[in-house]
Amino acid sequence: MIEVKNLVKRFGGFTALDNLSFNVEKGSVYGLVGPNGAGKSTVIRHLTGIYRQDSGEVLIDSQTVYENPGIKQRLAYIPDEIFFFLQATTRDMMHFYKGIYPRFDAKLYEKLGKVFEFDDKRPMRQLSKGMQKQSAFRLAVCMRPDILILDEPVDGLDPVMRRQVWSIIMNDVSDRGTTVLVSSHNLRELEDVCDHVGIMHNGRLLLQRSLSELQDNIAKVQLVLPEGNTLPEDFGAIHQSTSGRVLTLIMRGSNEYISEKVAALNPVFFDLVPLTLEEIFIYELGGVDYEVREILL
Amino acid sequence: MINLNYRDSRPIYEQIKDGIRKLVMTGAFSPHERLPSVRELASSLAINPNTIQRAYKELEAEGYIYTTAGKGSFVSDISEVDAGRRERQLKKFEEAAVELMFLGMGAGELKSRIDRLAKDSEGGRAQHDTNFD
Repeated sequence: MIEVKNLVKRFGGFTALDNLSFNVEKGSVYGLVGPNGAGKSTVIRHLTGIYRQDSGEVLIDSQTVYENPGIKQRLAYIPDEIFFFLQATTRDMMHFYKGIYPRFDAKLYEKLGKVFEFDDKRPMRQLSKGMQKQSAFRLAVCMRPDILILDEPVDGLDPVMRRQVWSIIMNDVSDRGTTVLVSSHNLRELEDVCDHVGIMHNGRLLLQRSLSELQDNIAKVQLVLPEGNTLPEDFGAIHQSTSGRVLTLIMRGSNEYISEKVAALNPVFFDLVPLTLEEIFIYELGGVDYEVREILL
Repeated sequence: MINLNYRDSRPIYEQIKDGIRKLVMTGAFSPHERLPSVRELASSLAINPNTIQRAYKELEAEGYIYTTAGKGSFVSDISEVDAGRRERQLKKFEEAAVELMFLGMGAGELKSRIDRLAKDSEGGRAQHDTNFD
């Protein structure tokens, strides 16, 4: 559905996107994660046709997005910084969107009034940041998009609204097969809603996997070896740390494979736990020297 | 109905599986009852539909539920899944036994525990029977 091929974007002498490629399949929920300044929002601005690339291709349904109204009609975008007309109310924006997006569902808009309860005749600039996000979300859903692109979508929303918003998106994904690309730093939340993740760093993609693949192919093992025994040199852990007698290893491979391998050491005790997305993020980026530094102030 | 615990180390699909399994085991879902659809569950739990699909598929492979094309997923007759359950419970039991032995409990002590449990449940059953008479 979404194809990014060898995308390069420079701002002056700064290379923001450096030969970036990735794919998002139809009906998939793709989480784009990465440290601040990795280039997530820049990719998104290419996908929504705001920026023009220096080289490479940005395709949706095999068509170039830039200056392509046909594709843009099917695409809803919630930017990290919401923009609406100065004096407009949510309802005014609804009328404006209705005129632009042929699929705009005004009935759905009214129905969603039950969820987004605040007065939609209040000027948007009087609304709080979270309420503006809610309005943007309400309008985006009503566009009945095939592709939903969200840049930090739940930033500024309260816990109830976050869940509400995700619930509506998940319903749309299972019902209509909407393709969703979402950038966020809230990995805990992405873990629930995404089926694929891409980790970006310095304008490149470090890794792109399905979430089940990620979780099935890497695990954390905690074990205690019998007194006097040490871990063989070539055991193959990608990361290891020791605290007292307890060894913590990060290992690649299926759970069965890791269990067997660890059991062969005759440990006094061992436990296998899947890694959270947050841990995967930290280990993968640790591999490219992006990590928490120890600093005393 | 199904609670997702974010501090739980099990992946979400495992938690869904365990949750449904428990509901089936305890009889909260009766045999041949229709399970919530993938869409209903995805939107009520606010999680990816593929995750639920995966949990349902695995539960089906384990025999807890069955799917009828176009109609949805249903709870299996529990008697058919006994074998699988027995095996899993045994594994849990073994894990607990190993841990208890690690904590210094002897095999003899464990055995006498089991004997006592067996006696209790027999006694319980006998009592139950007399109540019925």
